[in-house]
Amino acid sequence: MLKYLFAKNEDIPEGSSAVYWGFSSIVWFVIGTGLGSFNAAKLAFPDFVTGNEFFAFGHMRQVHVHAVIFGWISMAFGMAMMYITPALGNTKLWSEKLGLWNATLWNVGLSLGLVLLWAGVSSGREYSDFPWVIDLYIALFMAVPLCINVWMTVINRRTQGIYTTNWFFASAVFMVAIVFLTGNLPEFFHLTGLTEAYLTWWFAHNVLGLWITPVAAAIAYYTIPKVTGNPLYSHRIGHLHFWSVVVFYSTPAAHHLMSAPLPEWLKSFASVEGVLILVPAIAFVSNILLTMTGKWHMFVENLEIRFTITGVLMAIPLNMQGGFQQTRAINWYIHGTGWIVAHAHLALLGFSTFLEAAAVYLGLQMILKRKLYSLTLGNIHFWLLLIGFTTYWVSMTIAGLIQGAGKIYEVPYIDVVIAEHPYMIARWLGGTMVFTGNVLWLYNMWMTARQGTVIPVGRMPHELAYER
Amino acid sequence: MAFDFDKPLRTLSSAEENKKDQMLWEAESLGGITEDNNRLPVPVVWLLMLTVVTAFLITLPLWGQRPNAAIYAEYVRLMNTPEIIAMQDDNAAMAKIVQLSKGVHNDKHQIEAKSKGGVEAPHVGESLESEMDYDALRARHPVTMDDLRIVKPQIEALMAKGVDLEEYTVVGDRVVIANFEGNYKANGVRERKQPWWDKGYTIDIFYLTMFFIGVTMVIKCLPPSSWQPKHDH
Repeated sequence: MLKYLFAKNEDIPEGSSAVYWGFSSIVWFVIGTGLGSFNAAKLAFPDFVTGNEFFAFGHMRQVHVHAVIFGWISMAFGMAMMYITPALGNTKLWSEKLGLWNATLWNVGLSLGLVLLWAGVSSGREYSDFPWVIDLYIALFMAVPLCINVWMTVINRRTQGIYTTNWFFASAVFMVAIVFLTGNLPEFFHLTGLTEAYLTWWFAHNVLGLWITPVAAAIAYYTIPKVTGNPLYSHRIGHLHFWSVVVFYSTPAAHHLMSAPLPEWLKSFASVEGVLILVPAIAFVSNILLTMTGKWHMFVENLEIRFTITGVLMAIPLNMQGGFQQTRAINWYIHGTGWIVAHAHLALLGFSTFLEAAAVYLGLQMILKRKLYSLTLGNIHFWLLLIGFTTYWVSMTIAGLIQGAGKIYEVPYIDVVIAEHPYMIARWLGGTMVFTGNVLWLYNMWMTARQGTVIPVGRMPHELAYER
Repeated sequence: MAFDFDKPLRTLSSAEENKKDQMLWEAESLGGITEDNNRLPVPVVWLLMLTVVTAFLITLPLWGQRPNAAIYAEYVRLMNTPEIIAMQDDNAAMAKIVQLSKGVHNDKHQIEAKSKGGVEAPHVGESLESEMDYDALRARHPVTMDDLRIVKPQIEALMAKGVDLEEYTVVGDRVVIANFEGNYKANGVRERKQPWWDKGYTIDIFYLTMFFIGVTMVIKCLPPSSWQPKHDH
């Protein structure tokens, strides 16, 4: 793959950059969940690996979070954009070479950022923990090249219309650069106090709201009609979804700070908007589930559909939980507890991961023109991911409720720690299942590239029978 | 593109525009993907309306009332009574204060009776028109004797100044002017009490209205939902 970095664009095989992004994302997923499992073990077994500051939880947590968000999730998005954007425009990717360089710069920048975090060089701002130099690097050398490639591909399309998926892709790649440049203003200009707090959570909220959620949804808009062969149920519901994300998802950052001395009108505004995030969620879920009409058997039979629909179904509890937990009454109880950690994993490891995994499974098979090496390994991956995630989510939600009760009723801290210990062990078990599944996935995709059954031109992977 | 307002809830585009859109819709393959033109199912419309109503009801500012200084004024007064001073155990003293404070301040009749009977004038900051449920707020924001000892001098200083204690919030160990921005009072100063209906809500109504008008216009520019494309290419 690296040999194409210095080749002429026209000499680079179509789909090369997507493959690079795709395999990078899986490797980051293995690393990110491995770190997650390690961190969970430290919470479950406090004597596990002590005495070295580099393996302290405070150093490792940010590395896990950023490896997963900017390694796994964002590189899987890059992979999806590299093959879906041109496919929907009946054209080629604007520049395979830029795509390859972009992936390289992404891997280098992320590795550098994670090493700095690991060494303790951090902004100390949750989710925007990277120091400002890395933030600028991400905006200029990771987000902007991706934005240019996606936009130029859309502009050079051979269709008159632009399909729903590409509205989301094009908007999100533009917005993620804005989010990085604006959300990190406190670091660039040493803003402190409430301004820093608000912009920190404006950043964290919009990385989710204008990057992860819309791009993950956009993938489902492609995967389901493409694999089932059904038309998308409604173009007009797509409009409702897109514009409600823009209006309702971009605004409620203040609902992360309901107990802070922000102006109360801002919190009231954000809180209403927070519940209204259910509008895009309802539009999205109904559009995708209605597109499945007549093809529900594929939910059982087809791996990509199973991953996608599972992710889509998780959007329901995700947005119900998200909408209500940010209201004053509920936030008072669960703020700062494991409940929020569970919710964050429902968004990133539940909803979005299942959609991205489907995109990577489907994309790598289509580009490599190789059928998945082992359906059994694929199925094991799915179930390890689902059971592992569910174990994690349920245990952390219960632990959060215990912590909330402890907080409100002023239960001694150590008693709360003892009460939630079993749930910390369950969390570690769940996270480790996810990590194990991802190791198998990496092997499965590597073997797919090397030994997968060749897919004839013009055929889809699911049209061929599995051979093992 | 000009709007056609003949049948605004069916389509805002002219017949020619719709015809052009329909031809493109049926002819074009977007990477092998096609789209239908179905409307939002009626149950989903109801679900969205329920969501909007719920969003406003469940986020009423009242659900998140902050502890204002007025709810602790009675606690502070009781701390100075011989009965409480004589108690050695802080927990028992706090329990007694909570018990004695039940119903005080939010019971208009009791306050009025107190005023008329001349037993005790209403405390500074006590408003006969107060709509706040002090008992509920106290239950929501319990304090210990140690907490009270910290805020007591601050509350007493405010009482001495004659300000409305409902406009002051207790934040940790400090009693500070609340950050609400209500209507202007007769003296030209803003009211700092948590309002039933605040500015954030007004902005939300504007936002929501503009959103639905905007999306309706976008959707109604499409061919009417009674037309469905034939995907035979």
